[in-house]
Amino acid sequence: MAEAMRATVASLLKGIDRYNPENLPTLERYVDMQAKDNTYDLEANLAVLKLYQFNPSLYQTGVTAMILLKALTNLPHSDFILCKCLIETHRLTEELVSKVLRLAHFLETANFQQFWVSLMDDPDLLIGIIGFEDSIRKFAGKYFCLYIASTPTSKCSAKDKLRQLLGNISDTQTSQWISKYGWTEQLDGYVFITSQDENIKTKNITEKISFDSVAAIMAAGR
Amino acid sequence: MSGTWANEIEPEYVPYYSGYGDYDMSHTGDPRQDLEYERQYASSYIVPEVIKNFLLYFQKYINQQDLPEIQNSYENGFNKLTDRFFKTSAWPEAESVIPIVGNDKRFLILYKELYYRHVYARVSGGPTLQQRFDSYYNYCNLFNYILNAEGPVPLELPDQWLWDIIDEFIYQFQAFSIFRHKSINKKTENEIEVLRTNPKIWNVHSVLNVLHSLVEKSNINKQLEVYTSGGDPDSVAGEFGRHSLYKMLGYFSLVGLLRLHSLLGDYYQALKVLENIDFNKKSLYSRVPACQITTFYYVGFAYMMMRRYQDAIRTLSNILLYIQRTKTMFQSRAQLYDQISKMNDKMYTLLSICLVLYPMRIDESVHSHLREKYQDKMNRMQKGEMQEFEASFAFACPKFLSPVPPNYDLTGAQTQFKEPFQLQLLVFKDEVEQQIQIPTIRSYLKLYTTLPISKLAAFMDMSDDELCTHLMCFKHKMKNLVWSKGTSGLEGEFQSASEVDFYIDKDMIHIADTKVARRYGDFFIRQFHKFDEIMRSLKAT
Repeated sequence: MAEAMRATVASLLKGIDRYNPENLPTLERYVDMQAKDNTYDLEANLAVLKLYQFNPSLYQTGVTAMILLKALTNLPHSDFILCKCLIETHRLTEELVSKVLRLAHFLETANFQQFWVSLMDDPDLLIGIIGFEDSIRKFAGKYFCLYIASTPTSKCSAKDKLRQLLGNISDTQTSQWISKYGWTEQLDGYVFITSQDENIKTKNITEKISFDSVAAIMAAGR
Repeated sequence: MSGTWANEIEPEYVPYYSGYGDYDMSHTGDPRQDLEYERQYASSYIVPEVIKNFLLYFQKYINQQDLPEIQNSYENGFNKLTDRFFKTSAWPEAESVIPIVGNDKRFLILYKELYYRHVYARVSGGPTLQQRFDSYYNYCNLFNYILNAEGPVPLELPDQWLWDIIDEFIYQFQAFSIFRHKSINKKTENEIEVLRTNPKIWNVHSVLNVLHSLVEKSNINKQLEVYTSGGDPDSVAGEFGRHSLYKMLGYFSLVGLLRLHSLLGDYYQALKVLENIDFNKKSLYSRVPACQITTFYYVGFAYMMMRRYQDAIRTLSNILLYIQRTKTMFQSRAQLYDQISKMNDKMYTLLSICLVLYPMRIDESVHSHLREKYQDKMNRMQKGEMQEFEASFAFACPKFLSPVPPNYDLTGAQTQFKEPFQLQLLVFKDEVEQQIQIPTIRSYLKLYTTLPISKLAAFMDMSDDELCTHLMCFKHKMKNLVWSKGTSGLEGEFQSASEVDFYIDKDMIHIADTKVARRYGDFFIRQFHKFDEIMRSLKAT
């Protein structure tokens, strides 16, 4: 179903037809579908925003907010920026959209705690979007690792910290996420993530002189 | 497909020159302007003998399809005569040229292309509303002639000219969009009425349609695909695409679309239209330097906006190196040289922004120019001065535009035309603000190989928790999608090749620095070549 829709939409977006406002209802429905089915199609969503840009009278705040939220699920890709660049400035300050912008800001600055707090304040925002929180958790895992590695204190364990950063989920859920990320819990309260020695090393770049460039001088010196 | 939208962009743009509906534009209602119009008209009746001869030869070369001579007339003849006779005034109007060249429709269209382009570029006061409209119709006639023919039209023009046509077409669209938004208060009621009743002229759909039609007619995407895989593009080019005129117009239209989408803030589409062009490789399509430079500028800019700094830096330094090496070639062509110098400065500025946000090693000679000219600015940005970021962005960004006409009734709003720029600036500033602590953190990290979190937190004057958030942000922002293979510029994989990377083990930050050995060999090789050149030119004299 989703695949069929994706193909239909792709054919709508070919060539000059991409700018045909008559396609807008279909595309808007497709945005909704992505939210419900937890699928994602950046190109189609950008086409919607572009149609709004060309036909400001057809603009719909709800759809725009939905597109922006979906873009967040594809972090760390910079889809959110791509969407933002197509929305008129005064629309960005409208309540619904500006709420999403705030969430985006917290995520972009890796301020996950604040992110979950403001999400709690506005649970309505996510109505109709399946899998949003888990997408964020997946993204967060990529960067949490730094945080977890450094948090255990006498006051709380790394796992607790992780629990908080994932949005106050239960202890078992946290364990599930830990194994999903491929990490291991350790007895001392730390979470072992991965050995970084191999990936992050001091690099020494030394000069290499190509044969061709030397050959050119030698030829000139004859 | 039906409805007004479809009518707006159907390929039949306008009937062959048949006036503009209800508006007799030769009288504007403003006596001063009318007088000027008449004076201009009257004076253009006397066409100097040299000009006559030039036009006759030019016409002959085009009709004979003598490509080298067309190129010579286009690049040298026209510009030399412009400098002599029409430095700040317009060339003779097409009506005054008809008695000389006869009713040669094709030549007149091409002549008018040059005529209006010159009006936009050189004539003091710029084009009038009438001229903007006329130029639009002339482009429509030109593209109708090329696109609506039953078979390929028997015309070849130098690549440079074809590029200039596409480039100018978009430039005039851009100029018009800004013009209709700018200071509505200053326009006469008559002008506003004319703008209001002619929404289709320089309409974004028409412009997109022309570019898409040229792309489709030439099968350029298929051609490029086959070309990249080593095949013969002619095998898929089709009847039209085999002809140089269509092939090149198709290719330039792709670059035109790149530019147009960038001006509208649609960076995804901008890069997407180029997905079949392998611009990391020299190709037969890259013979027009101005086109190369435009391509790389917009690609570099799009990458920067998409937070793909590594790609932006690679793209920009490649083209800057290219300009550095070939600049002397353009010195004889003043206008082109000016244009390229301007782009050069803009791209260095973009590069400096990217390198502040994402320090990495670049080509030595580009780097040394950067150090010479942009060190102060870079230092200020490194210190987190938003104003400097803003100023650099404003200087180096393209002229963004709005695809829709302004609200002509809203006379109070003076700054409507700045709106699209404000939006892009806002997005850029938001991004920079999110990263603003990173250069400072990096400067501390650079000093150590291991550093306790608490110590760095004390340096930064923040709590351990806050610092950890910033460190995560550091990691996030420095992990860029980087192009690695294939022709599509949108593809890529996540990498972090910035100078400083780190990981945390318990409460210790372990830092990996990039150390670059000085490049002596490169320096000596350069000197060798320099001396060799001096010796040779000495011998020659």
